[in-house]
Amino acid sequence: MFRLALPFIAALAACATTDPPQPELTAAREMVAQARSAAGTEAPAELAAAQGKLARAESAMQRGHYEHARLLAEQAQADAKLAWTNAEKARAERALRQERSGT
Amino acid sequence: MRKPFSLTIVAAALALAGCAITPQAERQLEEARAAYRLASESPHVQRYAAPELAAAGSALKDAERLAAEGGPTELVEHNAYLAEQRSRTALSAADTRQAEADVAAAREERRRAEIQAREREAAAARAQAQQAEIARREAELRAQLLERERLEKDRQTLAATELSAEVKRLETELADVRAKQTDRGWILTLKNELLFDSGGATLKSGAERALDNLAQFLRKYPDRDIAIEGFTDSVGSKEVNQRLSERRAAAVKDALVSRGIESRRIDARGYGPSFPVASNATETGRQLNRRVEIVINPS
Repeated sequence: MFRLALPFIAALAACATTDPPQPELTAAREMVAQARSAAGTEAPAELAAAQGKLARAESAMQRGHYEHARLLAEQAQADAKLAWTNAEKARAERALRQERSGT
Repeated sequence: MRKPFSLTIVAAALALAGCAITPQAERQLEEARAAYRLASESPHVQRYAAPELAAAGSALKDAERLAAEGGPTELVEHNAYLAEQRSRTALSAADTRQAEADVAAAREERRRAEIQAREREAAAARAQAQQAEIARREAELRAQLLERERLEKDRQTLAATELSAEVKRLETELADVRAKQTDRGWILTLKNELLFDSGGATLKSGAERALDNLAQFLRKYPDRDIAIEGFTDSVGSKEVNQRLSERRAAAVKDALVSRGIESRRIDARGYGPSFPVASNATETGRQLNRRVEIVINPS
């Protein structure tokens, strides 16, 4: 019964959403792009998660699963922001180490 | 056509969710609570990442509300996930800003230390320059002092040499004058026979040349005072001899004053038979004791 319900919920989500989640996707793309420029080496796991979710959001969008796309876009944005912030943290802490070691 | 069908499913799903959210959503909610607690308890986060923490709190509140209302488990899980990631972002952002603040403080500290070091170096250089200048001036003063001492010594040596040459010349010119150098200065000894008749204190005309020479000498050395000391032998009354020696010394002084020498430069004294230079038992000795001594004081 429960297993059967899940695809129905996805179908329901697609129908219940009136508008395509364009703003969420745009924000997610921008955040992922920003993270990619900084987080490739500093936070690769978080960046990979963000990129995977963004790709899934894009395809959900194409299939018209707007609610699903919105959730994935929001998560992709949150993951990308964490990736970017972790990269910033690594950069700042490296700068601090360099400053303290006097180089 | 599809919609009525979907609505039935919604009602069914809501009823189902109202009973219980999935264990996976429950786990996600637990993780979100833990992450949010960790972030909100950090003073760094409150100071540096308040907006990020607020965004996390808002998502957690949505998740809790949906869970309590029996909302779709998928949305509970979604909001809990957002709350967890945003909490971690808040912590990370706070660490970033703390590190940046530390870097700025360390740079400021280093800059201040560099300025202090430069100031210390400059002060040390100034002090060193001052020391060097003081040492230079001291050396200069010492050199000047030494030069002055050397000149003064040269001058004294030259003066002493000149004086002894002059005294020697006087001794050579006047046959009966003997000169000797003592601690008191040069002493010229004139025999009484050269200056006076026996028993008298009137200068003989033969003494003129000796007195002229002596006056000339004194004019040449205006900064030297002299003492004229009269002595007798021990023959006769001591008092008579004392007075005679005084009168004779005074007569020599008067003769020099009449030749233009200032009176205050000359100290005339008589000592009678005191301070003999030879034995009074022989005529030769007595002749040596009858004398006038002219002491030329050192300048």
